[in-house]
Amino acid sequence: MIQEPARRFARQSAVRLFAQEYRDASLTEEGSGEYDPSFVITKIGAKINRALVCGVIDRMERREGDSGPNYSGHVRDPTGSYLFSVASFQPELHPDFEELLARFESGDRFILALVGKARWFETEDGGMFTSLRAEEFTVIDRECYTNWLVETAEATLRRIDAHSTALEADLTPAALEAAGVPRDLVDGLILARGHYGDFDPEGYRVGVLQALSMATGRTSLMEPPQPTATTLEETASQAPESSEPAAEPGDAIELILETVRSRDTGEGVEYNDLVTALVHGGHSRESAEDAIDQARDQGEVMEPRFGFFQLVPE
Amino acid sequence: MTEDGRYATQVKIVKQECPDADDGEIVEEFRRYEEEFLIPPEDALRSVVRKFQTAAGMEVTKIAAPAKAEKKVNRFSELDAEDRNVTIEVAVITYTPRIQMIRGEERQVAFGWIEDNPWEGSDNRERWDFKDWGEQGENLAPGSVVRLEGASVNEWNDKRSLNINRTTRVTVLREGGTPVAQVSSEPTDIATASANEGYVNLVARLISAKPDVIVKRDGSGELEVVRGRLGDASGSIGFLSWVPLEHEPGTLLKIDGASIRKFRETPEVNIGDRTMIEVYHDSAFASMDDLSKANKVSISDLRNGMRDIEVTVQVESWIQRSFTSEDGTERVVRSGDVIDPSGRCRLTAWCEVDPEPGDFLHLTGARVQFWQGSPDLVIDEAVQVSNLSDAPWEPIDPEQHWIDVDLTSMLSGGSRRGIRTSGTIVAVRPDSGIVERCPECRRVLRDGACAEHGPQRGEEDLRLRFVIDDGVSNASLLMSKDPSEAFLGVNQESVKEQISKEGRDGFVVSLRQRVLAQRLNIKGRSIVDDQGAMLLADEAEQDQTPSADAANQVMQRWGVVL
Repeated sequence: MIQEPARRFARQSAVRLFAQEYRDASLTEEGSGEYDPSFVITKIGAKINRALVCGVIDRMERREGDSGPNYSGHVRDPTGSYLFSVASFQPELHPDFEELLARFESGDRFILALVGKARWFETEDGGMFTSLRAEEFTVIDRECYTNWLVETAEATLRRIDAHSTALEADLTPAALEAAGVPRDLVDGLILARGHYGDFDPEGYRVGVLQALSMATGRTSLMEPPQPTATTLEETASQAPESSEPAAEPGDAIELILETVRSRDTGEGVEYNDLVTALVHGGHSRESAEDAIDQARDQGEVMEPRFGFFQLVPE
Repeated sequence: MTEDGRYATQVKIVKQECPDADDGEIVEEFRRYEEEFLIPPEDALRSVVRKFQTAAGMEVTKIAAPAKAEKKVNRFSELDAEDRNVTIEVAVITYTPRIQMIRGEERQVAFGWIEDNPWEGSDNRERWDFKDWGEQGENLAPGSVVRLEGASVNEWNDKRSLNINRTTRVTVLREGGTPVAQVSSEPTDIATASANEGYVNLVARLISAKPDVIVKRDGSGELEVVRGRLGDASGSIGFLSWVPLEHEPGTLLKIDGASIRKFRETPEVNIGDRTMIEVYHDSAFASMDDLSKANKVSISDLRNGMRDIEVTVQVESWIQRSFTSEDGTERVVRSGDVIDPSGRCRLTAWCEVDPEPGDFLHLTGARVQFWQGSPDLVIDEAVQVSNLSDAPWEPIDPEQHWIDVDLTSMLSGGSRRGIRTSGTIVAVRPDSGIVERCPECRRVLRDGACAEHGPQRGEEDLRLRFVIDDGVSNASLLMSKDPSEAFLGVNQESVKEQISKEGRDGFVVSLRQRVLAQRLNIKGRSIVDDQGAMLLADEAEQDQTPSADAANQVMQRWGVVL
């Protein structure tokens, strides 16, 4: 029989998910047709082309590129942080970002809501970083943030539930739908199971609990971003951030200098290569990025061209 | 049916080269190439000419073939009947393979529909038949958009179609569904058939049939057709037969090789001269009594183009007005809002019906037309209406009658009025605010000019445009002046002042601060088509559920304990 033609040009919905789930993802799908959307697929099967995320602003910066300024920042929710960017070809967003950047640099912190498209970049050793390219963002109040926490908690519970339902069914669309997996999750779950194999989503449940307890007023919102230790002692040891090796920033800067010295062939060393080297050296991705910024700000290395680092001439 | 006309163009070319060749023989030769060798006449031309030249003892010359240069077009309308090397991007609508036996060998050919202008909405496309001679089914899945290079135009009986040949290059630009590989001659049930377009075999009971006439658009006359309904246990579907249909209602029929086409949004079985119909016997098949319920629908089921439906409604309001029609006669039309437990719509009557608000009407043989994007029930004769004395349901208060529909079900249903839904704003369109509208047609003016009526002195209007999204589905959300003013809490003048002070960008930024990531509850109507859904708000308000309450509800729903 003949299939119903696919919906043409339907807008992709904005998936609600916490930072940890997004950051853990290492599977992507690029559309095969010229105009097909691309997706990041998370371990529990969220298929993300667009996401709505909220959180406390954690870092903001401007970089001057060849084609104009571009921006990046971090937004932190109870489970970790998202990297987001505003490209040089999005000039309509630049004034708003500059305004927030000025607030940020004056020491102000605020909660940001951001709708963005899924982006990723791969390191040479095959590691993958997920990020979001901003489409719209605005500063929101606490009530709006807690509403988002609740909505995202529910969306995550729905995915965890579908993920465990799928464990007992054959990995075919028909079998999953028959087992009760919602239609929007079928495709992503099949891809996720094929790529990540067996995965225990218990860690994501911890994030859900943290978000729900914030929304019910049990934890204050703006406390310094920390892993989930205080409210959930038993499970805290499973939280990925606390298990990351804590390397000293000083080591990191040494490692940056060493990496740039050994690898620079005159063109500079790429930002991603530096991050990779630091991650290999036992630093978390975030502390690696911090250390690179610090090294640059302290004049240990310079960034003559956007994204390429060299030693400062003696 | 004579096939002579089918090869007329090619026969003419052969005759130019071989004046003495017999027309009948040439036709026979093309028929043989097409049916036995599966080579379409355009491609067989050279071989056929050579054959007759050789037969006539002529020296084999190069023939003046029709232009072979690549012709790249966007629309079917740009093609000529002789075009042989066409490049065009099309959307594949259907793909129906057929197996033909050629000298003991099974070969697959396929036919179906393609539409030009594939990146635009379906109302701005032209649909052609195509025939695939090259077993390219892998790349021609329904729903996909493909670029064809080296296709050729075929013209027969004034109707053009496109041939996709073995040498045609098919590039998939956007993937569709699963490629069609299997040819099925198994009958499908009506529910399955209705969900798709293309060729079907059905076993169904004839519920109704009556002769009708279609006036040709070009004014060249009328066609006699038969319309009616077929039913089985899975549902019922209207049919349109281009050939006489002698069977009595109630007869169980086996129908092979009919096609499902969509009339507006409603699938319909088309019966043509290639369809085989025979009486079928199955004592277990659903009886007329069972099937007579099948065309009873509720308001939420209404789709543009439906015919011959039965529905019960409660009248909310009723007016009549008269106007002078195009031919100068005075006509009266009555209409009003009607509701049932599933929703709300408009009812238009072209006959004398004068119900009071609160009356219950039972309508038979009603049809559905679109009015401003929403389904509108239409009746033409007073006999179609009966005023019920027994209320079929507790009277509904129209003021309080909103049907809760989540965004996902809204998108999978038809256009509806009187619905209530909710979602989070994920985009604020930068053209929100004050717009200028054409005084003639209400279109938004661009640079002081209307697309239809040229430069105009525009009338100012306020409207807000958003995208509302619940994480699974999304829709455009449009607020016209009244709901916008109520939602913003200020009037159009104040918005205008704000824009003149802060600029449109400033207004949009402040709007974004106010609504982005906020959950809204919307009452209004939906317009759903292939591109997605548009929600026209009558009323919009921010969801006031405290997040602690929402969190407790989530914990209850999912059995989570903190």
